[in-house]
Amino acid sequence: MSGTESIAFDTPQRERRADTFAMWVFIGSEAMLFGAIFLVFLVAHIDFGPAFAAASKRLSLPLGTFNTAVLITSSFTMALAHMLALQRRWRATVWALVATAALGACFLVVKGIEYGKEIREGLAPLLGLPFTYAGPDPTHAEFFFGLYFAMTSLHALHLIGGIVVIAGMIALWRTAGPANRLRRVVAVGLYWHFVDIIWVFMFPVLYLINR
Amino acid sequence: MSELRKLTFAYLGLLALLALTVGSSLIDLGGFNVALNLAIAAAKAALIGLLFMHLTGTLPRLAVAATGLWLIILFGLTVIGR
Repeated sequence: MSGTESIAFDTPQRERRADTFAMWVFIGSEAMLFGAIFLVFLVAHIDFGPAFAAASKRLSLPLGTFNTAVLITSSFTMALAHMLALQRRWRATVWALVATAALGACFLVVKGIEYGKEIREGLAPLLGLPFTYAGPDPTHAEFFFGLYFAMTSLHALHLIGGIVVIAGMIALWRTAGPANRLRRVVAVGLYWHFVDIIWVFMFPVLYLINR
Repeated sequence: MSELRKLTFAYLGLLALLALTVGSSLIDLGGFNVALNLAIAAAKAALIGLLFMHLTGTLPRLAVAATGLWLIILFGLTVIGR
């Protein structure tokens, strides 16, 4: 009944504080990972600005904008799940989580459509695929697309991880008590919002440079 | 209900900022386009952090401040060193 998930904690309050702090430290470490890649992009952009601007125009702005809206909406439904869990409206909480995971999957499908389009246009310098770019400075344009695929696929991997965790949480829903349900929703929520924030920065950096 | 109102405000704000950032990119502002886009992204991150992630309490803010400080060192030294 006490509601702690681990015997390491005397009270649920202490466990919750430790949980939240650990999630923020984890998010900080993730911000380091993404920060380093953004830094590589920044330096390359300073050096090869015109080539990057021209290459960026080949990305699909409508699909990118749509996907940003999808991810913002998923963050909203995740925040709703947190609110509903606090109110102990568990059935509604599960539906909000399902909606969040579904929106995440929708993002991945659209991203896949974008990848398919870029591969068909010969803009994917990976896995030995042909890179055919007619614009100026193809060498550095290739670098742009390399970074684009590295950054967006790393982000997509994080999103897949989030969807898997939400699915696991729902699978274990009946075996978890109210306190543990809330703790899990809070933890996965923080992670999901962070992945959304990463995309919020990736979208203008990749799609909107000097457009 | 006030929590729901707060979350809805954040959501609509995020969509408005998205429209603003896409809209502004269609107008040529020279070097200000990049600065404006990053400022809008920071505003979106602040909305998500404060209203969706409930960034309160000393320990979480400490973690975020440490992250921010290290990123400033990382970016700062790299840009200065060039």
